[in-house]
Amino acid sequence: MDLALPVIGAVLQSAAMLAIAPLLKVTIKKMKARLQNRQGPPWRQGYSDLAKLLGKEPVRSETASWIYVAGPRVYFAAALAATTLVPVVFAAAPLEAAGGILLLVGTLALGRFALATAALDTGSPFGGMGASRDMTIAALAEPALMLGLFTSALAAGSLNLGVLVRGVVQHGPSFHPSDLLAFAGLFIIVIAETGRIPVDNPATHLELTMIHEAMVLEYAGPDLALVEWASAVKELLYLTLLVDLFMPAGIARSAAPAAVLVGIAAWIGKVFVLAVAVTLTETTNAKLRLFRVPELVSISLGLAFLALAIRFL
Amino acid sequence: MSVPAALAIRMAAIVSTIVLARNTRACRLVAMGGSILASVVTVTVAMTVVRSGQSADGVLFNHLASGIVFSYAVTPLSAWFLLVLGLVAVPVAVYSTAYFAHAVTPARTAGVGAMFNTLLGAVEMVFVADGVITFLFAWELMTLATALLVATDHHVRASRRAAYLYLVMSHVGTGCLVAAFLVLAAQTGSSSFPVLLAGHVASGPLRNGLFALFFLGFGVKAGIVPLHVWLPEAHPAAPSSISALMSAVLITAGLYGLFRVCAFGLGAPTVRWGLTFMALGALSAILGVLYALTQNDVKRLLAYSTIENAGLIVLSLGAAMVALAYGKSELATVAVAASLAHVLNHAVFKGLLFLGAGSVVMAAGTRQLEEFGGLLRRMPWTGLFFLVGAMAISGLPLLNGFTSEWLMFQALLLGFASTPALVRLIFPLCGALLALTTALAAACFVRAFGISFLALPRSAAAAEAEESPAAMLVPQAILAALCIGLGLFPAVVLRALGGVMTFLPGLAPATALAGDGLGMVSSPISFDHVAPVMLAGALLAASGVAVALARRRGVALRRVPTWGCGGQLTAATEYTATAFSKPLMMIFRAIYRPTREVETLTEVSPYFPREVRYRAAIEPTFERYVYRPLVDAVLRVAEGMKVLQAGSLHAYLAYVLVLGVLLLLWLGGTS
Repeated sequence: MDLALPVIGAVLQSAAMLAIAPLLKVTIKKMKARLQNRQGPPWRQGYSDLAKLLGKEPVRSETASWIYVAGPRVYFAAALAATTLVPVVFAAAPLEAAGGILLLVGTLALGRFALATAALDTGSPFGGMGASRDMTIAALAEPALMLGLFTSALAAGSLNLGVLVRGVVQHGPSFHPSDLLAFAGLFIIVIAETGRIPVDNPATHLELTMIHEAMVLEYAGPDLALVEWASAVKELLYLTLLVDLFMPAGIARSAAPAAVLVGIAAWIGKVFVLAVAVTLTETTNAKLRLFRVPELVSISLGLAFLALAIRFL
Repeated sequence: MSVPAALAIRMAAIVSTIVLARNTRACRLVAMGGSILASVVTVTVAMTVVRSGQSADGVLFNHLASGIVFSYAVTPLSAWFLLVLGLVAVPVAVYSTAYFAHAVTPARTAGVGAMFNTLLGAVEMVFVADGVITFLFAWELMTLATALLVATDHHVRASRRAAYLYLVMSHVGTGCLVAAFLVLAAQTGSSSFPVLLAGHVASGPLRNGLFALFFLGFGVKAGIVPLHVWLPEAHPAAPSSISALMSAVLITAGLYGLFRVCAFGLGAPTVRWGLTFMALGALSAILGVLYALTQNDVKRLLAYSTIENAGLIVLSLGAAMVALAYGKSELATVAVAASLAHVLNHAVFKGLLFLGAGSVVMAAGTRQLEEFGGLLRRMPWTGLFFLVGAMAISGLPLLNGFTSEWLMFQALLLGFASTPALVRLIFPLCGALLALTTALAAACFVRAFGISFLALPRSAAAAEAEESPAAMLVPQAILAALCIGLGLFPAVVLRALGGVMTFLPGLAPATALAGDGLGMVSSPISFDHVAPVMLAGALLAASGVAVALARRRGVALRRVPTWGCGGQLTAATEYTATAFSKPLMMIFRAIYRPTREVETLTEVSPYFPREVRYRAAIEPTFERYVYRPLVDAVLRVAEGMKVLQAGSLHAYLAYVLVLGVLLLLWLGGTS
């Protein structure tokens, strides 16, 4: 097996995702601000924040062990490694040979496990609260996520994202109503997994409503920078996944410069469209009480199951 | 090297253990040394058979006067289970040499050591038994040895009760097995397995009845809901290394029966059998993990998690049976491979977790999660190994739990693609349940590891905990290494399963699933593939990036106290295990049916409580709604029969006379 091409592709793709991810956060913040008649942060804000945090002196709790140090690093590594498992600009994932959807979901679960465990390490009650809530929501979201992904995978006859995307590109979009249901179901899950309103509020530090923020409350400086950056990459990754599954039009099928340029433009455009959708959801909804989240997730599960049923029965 | 050799070594070890009973230390070393030697022999035999795919058989014991012959046959399926047994039994025995010194009183050491070998020898005989007599003898020996081990601390009431419950349930199960084997033997006039389990002995309703009896009999041992109630009582009662054996070896014996007899011994399975397996497997998996989540006793938690994993194994075995019923041999192969791989993976990580729990319980003197805390500082190695086990059982990639769950997902998705309508909808539903189970297991083990090993110690004993001796750490290291090795190179397992698959009727060899050697593929249509070792490379490189990014050259690390929300941060302000699982308890309250009592004691004003007492409990659904009525009914019948027990000798003589007359009349009537 020739490893040179996949490795170069993986390095380039993950570097690009890493570089662009902070921009996505700022885009959503800016759009949200505009909708609320505010100016919003400047475009470079995401990078400035990370640079500031990375430049600070590392501060850690006296009670923390090596788990606390490992948490953000594994979380970051998992998000970064996961970017090599999805097709972005080309209709192939750089590390397609490593695995498909299940490995992608597993890798993200690895990051979540590491961060939730590390949150318990400082002894702060917030860490425990955040970890408990984050694992709860993740557990509820998992079946809906899997069922939604299975619908696409079964339609394409493969669980490998590269094969799946190439299949959709080759045969053209099916315009089957099940796609709409599956998309709606997965969109809800993406909202839940990325900690957006109505499931979690990324802007809050109010004690009783935090989920993800409570989990990382004790982190500071470079450690916090890794968590923030990885969360941004994860969000970009989830939106790219939706793009791959439901609107792969324009994705590059060859390495010709024109195709690549179209691919890049199409990817940015489609992710932007989804970012607008996320913004609108955040702006027009109120945050749900924690114990209402299961209802939202059940809707998603129901949609995914309906999609599966009308597609294959 | 053969099975009789292994059994002879165990017998010798048992005899010398009892002879040396006075000298506790020698007794321990002889028992465990003999056990290790015998297990190594077992593994060697098993490896040979698994590799060649050729059965090895022979005679264990031939009693000329009665004509009773104990014969054995190491079929590739038996060999797989023997391999699992041996791989776990060796580390457990090494661990026990040091652990029993602490956990078992000198007076009981000889008994426990002898029973340890008896249990392992009996399970080995169960796996290789080639006839009904051998099988039932070994099965009963296994049950009795386990019951004695569970009752090791027989001065504790809970231990006696657990052993009693286990004995009663096991014997109801064994009763079902005896009945079913008798029917089979009556049909054929033989008691040898190749004849009885050839598949064409029974048909129609009789076959369904036999299936039900065998399922009940083996299901009790496998811990399938609703036959699981003994399991969470017996596991915590036994010493921890015995609990490891129970989860890795005893439960596995029940699963072996389900494989050998229910799935492949009664002829081609029907769709309904497969669906029954799938439904009860899914039920066990989800209920097992939900109950595990709320346990505060670390060993009960692990016991419930065993129910979950047994459920997953039965679920994918059920998928295989449905596939066989529809004649889809490739799909059945994936499902059986998933099932058998999970038997191995579960034995390895659950053995590891029980050994870790044993070390922790020994150090902290309690099984309560709420009284651990901060153990990673005191016990760095145990903590590390427990973390590996926790990650493996949570199905995270790079570890072995992920590989068999990956195969299960493949089986369920391929099942959807290749079975007729309506039946096929069961498959993605089970897939969703599998996803939920895995994610809940992750939550459960974040809780188990985090609350026990991280943050501040929650009790004085935890603050003073001592790391275990090397003899207890090395076995954990071996099992942890197995978790990682099997997780990175799953193809090794699939290649080994090749011979087992060709032995089972209707399956294609699993070697096709091993792909190009790096990972696994799911045949037949290149549906998916996975190579964990490639991800390991990517993760390693990405961690390097993370470390490099966060490194601050020349700036010293500052250590500060955790913010205590304005007060002093103590163990009392930490998040507790109960609180951690509270959201899930609320969300799944329909299943848990939690009750709680809060009692506030005040002196002057209700706003200044002196003491708050809090009691929370979840309803033991099966005990209350299934077993209570059953036990009551049995007791009522027994009460009614007391009328016969008059206590008067004359009445008893009269019964004998009446019975004699009736028998004579009946016999006279028939001739």
